[in-house]
Amino acid sequence: MTLRVAAALAGLVACLALAPLSAQEGHPLKGSWLGTWKQNTVHGDDLILVLDWDGKAISGMINPGTDNIPIARGTLEPKGWVVTLEANAKDKAGATIHYVIEGHIENLELPNRSIVGTWRSERGKGAFEASRQ
Amino acid sequence: MSPAPRGSSARGALAAALALAATAALAHHEITAKFDDAKRTTLSGIVTDVDWRNPHAHLFINVAGDAGAVANWAIELESTITLTKSGWRFDTLKPGDRITVVGPIARDGTRQIWGESLTLAATGRKVLYALDTAPVAPAKPRPAPRGPDGHPRLGALDTEGGYWGYPTSSALEQDGAQVAMNAHGLLASSKDAARVAPFQPWALGLYQRRQERHLRDDPMFINCKPPGGVRYLQSEYGVQLVEDRERQRIFVLIGGGNHNYRIVYLDGRTNRGQVRGDDDNPLYYGRGTGRWEGDTLVVETTGFNEDFWFTNGGLPHTNLLHLTERFSRPDFETLHYEVTIDDPGAYTKPWSAHWDLRWVGGEELPVHFCQDNRS
Repeated sequence: MTLRVAAALAGLVACLALAPLSAQEGHPLKGSWLGTWKQNTVHGDDLILVLDWDGKAISGMINPGTDNIPIARGTLEPKGWVVTLEANAKDKAGATIHYVIEGHIENLELPNRSIVGTWRSERGKGAFEASRQ
Repeated sequence: MSPAPRGSSARGALAAALALAATAALAHHEITAKFDDAKRTTLSGIVTDVDWRNPHAHLFINVAGDAGAVANWAIELESTITLTKSGWRFDTLKPGDRITVVGPIARDGTRQIWGESLTLAATGRKVLYALDTAPVAPAKPRPAPRGPDGHPRLGALDTEGGYWGYPTSSALEQDGAQVAMNAHGLLASSKDAARVAPFQPWALGLYQRRQERHLRDDPMFINCKPPGGVRYLQSEYGVQLVEDRERQRIFVLIGGGNHNYRIVYLDGRTNRGQVRGDDDNPLYYGRGTGRWEGDTLVVETTGFNEDFWFTNGGLPHTNLLHLTERFSRPDFETLHYEVTIDDPGAYTKPWSAHWDLRWVGGEELPVHFCQDNRS
């Protein structure tokens, strides 16, 4: 994890510790998520995920303010609450990395519900988990 | 030791279903969210305490088990408002009274029972009879009162009290759907879910999930979140419209939930927040602006947050929700309400619903506060 990401994470965690967990009774993916994509040697293990829903498409960003990886495509299948997110990032050399995150929502009813699954790219793969903040 | 539940025969189940259908119209929350109507029991014991407060009154009784051990059970009852309207008083039962209670027990296995029927052992008198009915309408409908501007008065005359209650529908569904559901919006058959409204797939999935869980995740029940959107107009505790013509606004005082209010502005402003106030923060009741079209007050409301359920029954919504509400008073006793729900975040097209509320004259809103951790 880079120092910038670590600083951003520390700042977010500090803010979230002070702010009460907001309810989210609308689209289940909407909101800020904090978690890990393990064994990610390019962008580090920790991640911040911000997702939105405009009625037609899921949009958002991974590590806003640091890596700024936009979500290129997102789907939510209500049967099993299966989530798929795709995003295109750049490594330090400017090469494109295509990420695919696949998982499902656990504890759908809770404000701090989780997405649990896996991530993969041309550079590796690993476990993915993020909880809504 | 807890006595074993009994009375699970088919006839008992039918009786339970009928009884629950009757009581569900009154209770603050969906009874089956907390109590399992498939597990019913009869308890006899001695009253140890009476907790007479909102949102539900509770009795506590000591019940002797087979081996002589005594267990204390909590009996959950209707709200004190409903009980009072049904002839109860805080001292109708007192510590030391021996009673028999019948009802469904808590799903989580704790010693709690919903007090469906309650009998005083000494006299055999039934002491729980929660029945709250709308005021009797006069044989000949009175005309709606009108203000100096000629528009119908939607609230009480200046010298009188009064509020609107007893909605003819307490759970939202699109016009013409006629889906069987109880007063809390719990469907009789989950197969009917898709008929309730023109859902987007995720919204239908979430609605079905809430239904499968017997509405137990309702944030109005768990966290006392406000009954925003249209929900307050389907509350058993009513709504009071206070017209402030000088300030060109209507204060909408809400009897259910956390006893909140909203304001409908009639001064021509747009649906924007205050720059130094709420600005564009999304709100539970949104921002409503109204105008008169003949004898109908048309209110456009946007700016909702997503922190609550906007209907009984758990229909989802998003911050794109736009309500077009039409209030009219066809006669003195009736408030007619029509609403069009336009939420492209959760539904595939706009849809509408309507119902009436009854005038409760000469009274102020019941004082019912949902309080955290007391629901």
